[in-house]
Amino acid sequence: MNKWRLLPLTMNDASMNMAIDEAICRLNAEGKSPNTLRFYRWEPAAVSIGCFQRVEQEVDLELARRCGIDVVRRITGGGAVFHDHDGELTYAAVCGQGDVPDDIIESYGVICGGLVDGFKRLGLWAEFKPVNDVLVNDKKISGSAQTRRWGSVLQHGTILIDPNVRLMFELLKVSPEKISDKFIASVYERVTSINREMGRKLSFEEVRAAMSEGFASALDVKLVGGELTRQELELANELRSKLGSEEWLRRR
Amino acid sequence: MRYAEFKAPKGLIKVELETRGNIISSISFSGDFFMYPEERLQGLERALAGVKASRESVAGAVQNFYRSTGIRTPMLEPGHWVEAVMRALEGQR
Repeated sequence: MNKWRLLPLTMNDASMNMAIDEAICRLNAEGKSPNTLRFYRWEPAAVSIGCFQRVEQEVDLELARRCGIDVVRRITGGGAVFHDHDGELTYAAVCGQGDVPDDIIESYGVICGGLVDGFKRLGLWAEFKPVNDVLVNDKKISGSAQTRRWGSVLQHGTILIDPNVRLMFELLKVSPEKISDKFIASVYERVTSINREMGRKLSFEEVRAAMSEGFASALDVKLVGGELTRQELELANELRSKLGSEEWLRRR
Repeated sequence: MRYAEFKAPKGLIKVELETRGNIISSISFSGDFFMYPEERLQGLERALAGVKASRESVAGAVQNFYRSTGIRTPMLEPGHWVEAVMRALEGQR
């Protein structure tokens, strides 16, 4: 059975979180980092935007600044995401391109299969919705974004535990008149979270444990606990200055 | 500068462009779509700069770009880019 490294749950600022994902992907492509699964949180809370988005169109930067919320551009496509410090767990999976199907949607399905399995371990019936969503009770509970670069695959995504939905839509540029109670109510019909579905508060560790087992089972790999290597940390520290720069944020 | 948005089944394409006479002189896309490899988006913009501002020419350039680069855009088709560009071209300045 193939072995993947499982990293401990860590908390970093936005540029470091993105830098670690990119460093593992680059070094995996060079054969210097193993296939890896990691879970992480955001300290402080952050908004990440997709690599093709224009930040000033998507994020209320003034509000983010006032709330002390980081804003970062991802190297993956897709939309803007609010990474609530207390309500969201992010995962990242890195592997070789040969370890997943060549077809993009199929490969999302394989990696999201780990989440689907993980939600089931929590007692929630989940399903993959192409391209990149996982639903529980027909509502979105997780969204992912994948890139294939340098010969490897990086897929990262959200696992909603208990997000502050109102703050999310104030930060993400939805026209103010849309952020009515009616709009918020309609969001609750389309988006859900673990705490809401479970009817109780789960710890980050509980969620991480279920998702790790889900990934191991769905990807049919053995997870072996490990740490970031010195090389990965050095590269991440180099990359974070680019990923945290104003130039990168306003690249498009 | 002309601006338009087109909501594809998966992904919103936002387009900003400028024309000189009947020619697209510059064009830039943004949005929440996926494209593999990501760097190719700049190539698509370059492929459309200098193209005649007609549906036929835009569609030809987009299709040619897909064919020659082999880019992949899950659930986003060449026609969706054309639609976004045409909306910007036909919209009010």
